[in-house]
Amino acid sequence: MNARNVHAVIAAGVHHPTLLSKWQMDSALLRSKGIAPETIDLPALRKFAGLTLKVRHNGLRPDLPLTFRLMGLAELGIEVFSEYATHSDATGHRYGKTSAERTRDLIAFLEGWLDLKQRNHSLLWDMIRHEEALAQIRRSTNEVSSAAADNPQPAQSPLRASTVPRICGQVILHRMQCDPKEVKSALFKRPVRLDLIPEESHFYCYWRRGDADEVHILDLDEFGFYSLQFIDGATSVAELSRRMGGDKRPSQVFKAGLRQLARIGILDLHSALKAEIA
Amino acid sequence: MKTFDFSHGATSLGLAHGPGILDFMDRNPGYVDYIEMPFEQLRHNPGLASVQEVAPVVLHCASMSVAGFIPPSQETTDAISQESARTQTPWIGEHLAFVSADGISEEADRDTAPTNLTYTIAPQLSEEAVERVAINLSSLRPKFSAPIILENSPQYFPIPGSTMGMADFVAMVSSQCDVDLLLDLSHFMITSINTKVDASKEIEKLPLERVVEIHLSGMNLQDGIVWDDHAVPAPPEMFDLLAQVAKRARPRALTMEYNWESLPHPVIVSHLERARNILARS
Repeated sequence: MNARNVHAVIAAGVHHPTLLSKWQMDSALLRSKGIAPETIDLPALRKFAGLTLKVRHNGLRPDLPLTFRLMGLAELGIEVFSEYATHSDATGHRYGKTSAERTRDLIAFLEGWLDLKQRNHSLLWDMIRHEEALAQIRRSTNEVSSAAADNPQPAQSPLRASTVPRICGQVILHRMQCDPKEVKSALFKRPVRLDLIPEESHFYCYWRRGDADEVHILDLDEFGFYSLQFIDGATSVAELSRRMGGDKRPSQVFKAGLRQLARIGILDLHSALKAEIA
Repeated sequence: MKTFDFSHGATSLGLAHGPGILDFMDRNPGYVDYIEMPFEQLRHNPGLASVQEVAPVVLHCASMSVAGFIPPSQETTDAISQESARTQTPWIGEHLAFVSADGISEEADRDTAPTNLTYTIAPQLSEEAVERVAINLSSLRPKFSAPIILENSPQYFPIPGSTMGMADFVAMVSSQCDVDLLLDLSHFMITSINTKVDASKEIEKLPLERVVEIHLSGMNLQDGIVWDDHAVPAPPEMFDLLAQVAKRARPRALTMEYNWESLPHPVIVSHLERARNILARS
């Protein structure tokens, strides 16, 4: 087997991992290129394609350091990127030019590929969304609303059914199957015991108030999380109550929950006040 | 602009360029003598040249495809030459590997464009490949003001048509091409584990007196294969291998390839100290 042919076949397999499956199914294709099929380890070549793609994504490490650490310690990195390489080759996907684009594309791939019943997969899904949310919200300094940004609401705001709450600043919401803070802690312990991380729902809210530099990470209750999902700056408290399964006449508990969010400073219950209803 | 100074006679210690390197050097003065800078990063981001105001630069390269059959473009070799002259690098460390190859087509008679990769691959380990390296070096060397030294590749899978192991291949290349070496100990250990040979025995096959620079980095096991990993610390066995090499080799430089900020500074400092002590004892 001459070196020139061998290099050509290996390079083609790494560049186009879908070829590896074809060669695996039909070894005559390899023979036609001057390669004895028994001399080439196609599964290893597929994993190597994963390594090369992982290296191409090294630019994401500053934004996703814990995600990469988790992939390494959970022995997922090579598998994730070799599957991503094959998927990208099969679909003609072109990798983004910026880290933000590549992160977004990787998350889109993972959403379809990960099996969230596998514990390490669900940890990875939570961690990459956690770090991406932080990176995204830090990047978007010019996109935040300035409504009541530096003016947290007093606890007893007049709250009517017609009030239209608005979010102060920018929020990103993710429901998690673990607490990313627990994952971070586990990643730096020896020995690493990812299996000991509690499996429990957390409702994370990444919030930056107005043009402030600080990003808050809030571990909300279910009410706060879904309220913020529905609040769009156009929907009234009455309609929010209805959408969340309650009555059009919001209960005191419901209103107390909104006031609590206003007290934190994340909701503005004043500036968009509309005409009172009886 | 700072340039390399070998007058002290000891092995210089460097770090591979990465996002946190200037912060590390600022917080830990005196530990790093130089920065190893990939040519490809400089080409993509010429502003990185400013790091040479802080420390001398050793140029590293992955674009020459020195063991391949598709030569780099004139534009690429011109750009390497310019960076070599501008940085006054004492040598250019290039991978003993290929990064481009002939394209292949499902239709036998159809010509296709070459396959250009973004990552170097270990070549076929054969006399034919050694001859190819010799041919390539003879055309590449006159283009650069600094000498080329060659870095052993990590081997992750058997390479069809190979007739020898990695250590024999590197030794043959060094001898037949009269070329000095960049010994990447992590690549060497990875290759040894993946090909099931004893690293401490294999390394004695290398012409260690021709080692000009040494690389150290981490590695990790995934899916039954050991992989190169610049984000984790080198294991203790790597330092044992360094101690063995240092009995015969007198490298002018040792680069820790810890490119990513995932490693705490105290770990990097302790590894730099450990390497310096090993080299000083030998």
